Amino acid sequence: MAFLKISEPGESRKAKTRKLAVGIDLGTTNSLITSGGDGEVEVILDEVGEGLLPSVVHYNAEGGSTVGVDAQKEAKRDPKNTISSVKRLLGRSKLEGLEINRFKQHKFDSEYGEDTLPAIITGAGTKDPIQISADILTTLASRVRQRFGSEIDGAVITVPAYFNDAQRQQTKKAAELANLNVLRLINEPTAAALAYGLDSNEEGNVVVYDLGGGTFDVSVLSLRKGVFEVLATGGDTALGGDDIDHAICEWITENGLTEETLNANYSELILYANSIKHQLSEEDCIDLVFKNWSGTLDRGEFAKICEPFIRKTINACRRVLRDSKIALQDIHSVVMVGGSTRSPVIREAVEKYFGRPPLTSIDPDTVVAVGAGIQAEVLVGNNTTENFLLLDVNPLSLGIETMGELVEKIIPRNTTIPVSRAQDFTTFKDGQTVMSIHVLQGERELVSDCRSLAKFNLKGIPQMVAGAAKIRVSFQIDADGLLSVSAEELSTQQKAEIQVKPSFGLSANFIEDILESSHENAESDMETRSLRESQVEAKQLIDSIDFALKSDRELLNEEEKLTLDHAKDRLIELIDSGTSAKIREATEELNRISSEFAARRMDLHIGQALKGEIIDNIDNS
Amino acid sequence: MQIANKNYFQLFDLPESYDLDTDRLTAQYHKLQLDYHPDKHSSASEKEKMSAQVAASYINDAYETLKSPLRRAAYVLTIKGKDAERVDQSDLSMEVLVEQMELRESLSDLPKDDTALQALEELKSIAQGKIQKKQLKFEKEIESGDLSVAKQTFHELQFLFKLLAEIEEGEELRLGY
Repeated sequence: MAFLKISEPGESRKAKTRKLAVGIDLGTTNSLITSGGDGEVEVILDEVGEGLLPSVVHYNAEGGSTVGVDAQKEAKRDPKNTISSVKRLLGRSKLEGLEINRFKQHKFDSEYGEDTLPAIITGAGTKDPIQISADILTTLASRVRQRFGSEIDGAVITVPAYFNDAQRQQTKKAAELANLNVLRLINEPTAAALAYGLDSNEEGNVVVYDLGGGTFDVSVLSLRKGVFEVLATGGDTALGGDDIDHAICEWITENGLTEETLNANYSELILYANSIKHQLSEEDCIDLVFKNWSGTLDRGEFAKICEPFIRKTINACRRVLRDSKIALQDIHSVVMVGGSTRSPVIREAVEKYFGRPPLTSIDPDTVVAVGAGIQAEVLVGNNTTENFLLLDVNPLSLGIETMGELVEKIIPRNTTIPVSRAQDFTTFKDGQTVMSIHVLQGERELVSDCRSLAKFNLKGIPQMVAGAAKIRVSFQIDADGLLSVSAEELSTQQKAEIQVKPSFGLSANFIEDILESSHENAESDMETRSLRESQVEAKQLIDSIDFALKSDRELLNEEEKLTLDHAKDRLIELIDSGTSAKIREATEELNRISSEFAARRMDLHIGQALKGEIIDNIDNS
Repeated sequence: MQIANKNYFQLFDLPESYDLDTDRLTAQYHKLQLDYHPDKHSSASEKEKMSAQVAASYINDAYETLKSPLRRAAYVLTIKGKDAERVDQSDLSMEVLVEQMELRESLSDLPKDDTALQALEELKSIAQGKIQKKQLKFEKEIESGDLSVAKQTFHELQFLFKLLAEIEEGEELRLGY
C-alpha cells in the first residue's frame, strides 16, 4: 500500500535548518569525505564514482596543482613535483623530513619559513606540509559542495590517536587553510569503533587495530548502551604499509638489483613494491621482474620481511591492553581498520596474538570517515537518531618542568577527557618572586626527552623563604582535547594562564616512540632522576647558605667560617662529578655543619621580628 | 553546578563503602555523562557549554577515583575524616616494613633478561594475593569504624600496588616492549 507522503507544515523549513556537516579521513595513502547531507552518513564520490582520493598532489610549472589519481599518474614522469604520504611530514622538523625515505626524491627548502617546517621545493613554488594537506582537503570539500550545492558548516577530521600536539595543530591549520570550520579532531580508531558499534549494535570490549599507510594505532574501547568509552590508546605515528613497501625494495636490492637501477628508478620501484604487496594478499607466490632484474617472492619470505613491523604493532597492543586493565580473554572482538590490514600476513599475526579471528567484514578504507561523519552530525547540532556519546582519552602524558630538568606528570596518558587536575608546587629560592611554568608532553622523566608545548611566567609571588609559597598549577583539557594551563599563588591569588599553542621545530626524532623508549630507559631514567634530585638538593642548600652568609656572616667565628666554606666547596665540586650517593653524603655533611649557624640566625631573626611587632603595636595604638 | 556538592558515592548513587559494584559504577557513570557531557550540549550557549565541561570533568574525576582500588581506599578515608596522604610513624609496623623490603629485594635480585619471566609471574601472583587479603581487611575495618587501623592497612596497600606496578614494568622491560 502506498501512501502519498505529505509533509507537515514547517517540516521543509526544518530540513533547511539542518546543517551540512562532513567527516574527513585525511590518510597517508588515501583520503575520503563523508556527509549526512542526505540523512544517512555516506561516502561522497567524485564525478567518476570513486570514493577514495589518493593523498597525492602534483604541482605543475604553471603554479597549479592536481590531486588524486591524476597526480598519481605524474609520479613516474615528474617525481620531484609529485608529493605523496605528506601526512608523514606533519608536525616534524626539517631534519626529520630529510630522514624519511619516502621523501628522498624531493628537495627541501632549507631557507623556508620562520619555524622549521620541512617544506618541499616544487615547480609551483615551495610547499609546506600544511599547504599540501590543505590542497587534499580542498579537493575533498569541493565534492561535497558540488553534491549539495551549499557551504559546509563544520567538519570532523580524524587523526591517528597517537598524534602529538604539533601534529594535531598542523592538521587543524591545514583544514583552516582549506576554509573548513573544524568542529573537532577525533582519533581514527575511535571513529572506526563508533561506526562499527552503531552498525553492529555490539556491546563489550573491542580492540581496534588500525594499520594505515603511514601510521599505526591501537585502541581498547568499552561499548555499552550507546556509550563508547575509550579505555586506552597507543601506537606509532611512523609505522605503516609504506614501511613494508620500502622493506620490499630493500629485499629486492639485497637480492641482486643494482644500486644504479635502484637510484635511477626509486619512485617507480616503490610503486612496484606496493603492487607486489597487494598481489601477495591474493597469491601465495609471485614472479618478479623489474628492469633488468628478476626473482620470485612467496608468502613465507614476505612474512619474514614484514616481521619487524608486525612485532612492533603487537608490542603496542600489549602495552595498550595493560593500560586498559582488560585481560586478553575479556576482549570480545578485534576490529581491523586501514588498508594494510588486508594483508593475510598481518591478519594471521593479529589472530595469533588475540587468540581469535579479527573482524574483517567492515570496509577498512571507509569506516573511519563514516565514524567521523556521524560525530560531525552530533557536533554541528543536527538531530541524530542514535543517542550515543564518545568518551575519549588524552594519548600522551602532560606535565611541567621541576628543578633539575625533571618532568612532573600532571595528567597521565589515557585519562578520560574533559579533565582538570591541579598540583601544588613551591619556590626554590628565598625571596623568589617569579616562577617559570614549562609545559611538556611525553612519557619520559627528563625535560630534554619530552616535547615542549609552552612556557610562561607567574610573576608577583610575595617574597618568602624557599618552600613557603604555595603555587597551584592547574591543567585543563576540554572535550576537544585542547589544553589550558594556569598557575596561581594561593596566598595572594596572583594568577597567570595560557592556552597551549604548538611550539614547532624542536628536535623530535623520538616522538613516534616516546613511549617505547620510556620503557627501555626506565632504569637509566631512574638513576638519572636520583642524580638530578641529589644535585638539586645540594644546590638548594648551597644557595640558602650563600644567602645567609651574605647578611649574617658575622655570626660565625673564623674557624667556623673555614669549616663551612670547606664543606661547601667540596659539595660544589661533587655536584658536577659525583654520584648521587656521594652528593647526598656531602649534602648531609654540609647540612650538619651549617645547622648551628642556622639556629643562631633563627634566634636573631625571631628577636628582630618580635621587636618589629612591638613597634607596630605602638604605631597602632 | 549542584553535582559538585555531592561526594563521589552520592554522585553515582552508591553506598559509601569500599566494597563496590563496579558494573553499577560504570553504568551510573555512563548515564551521568550522557546527560552532562559537553557533546550533548553542542547547540547550547557558551556559558552552558562551560558548565557542562566543569560537570563532565568532575564526573570523570569521580569515576577514576572510585574505579581505582587504591584511590578509592584513599577517598573512603578522606570522607571519613582521615588524611590519607599523611603517613605517621605509627602507621607502619616494623613487620610490614621488613616484609616489603624482602619482596622488593626478591624483585631486584632477578636476572635482567627473559629468564626471569617465570619468577616475575610468581611474584605477581603473590602480590595480587596479598592485595586481595588486605582489601578485605580494609573493608572490614572501615565497616567497623576502626579508622586508624584502616589507615595502616591503606599504607600497606600503597606499598603492594607500587610493587605490583614495578613487577609489571619489569615484565615489559624483559619482553622488550
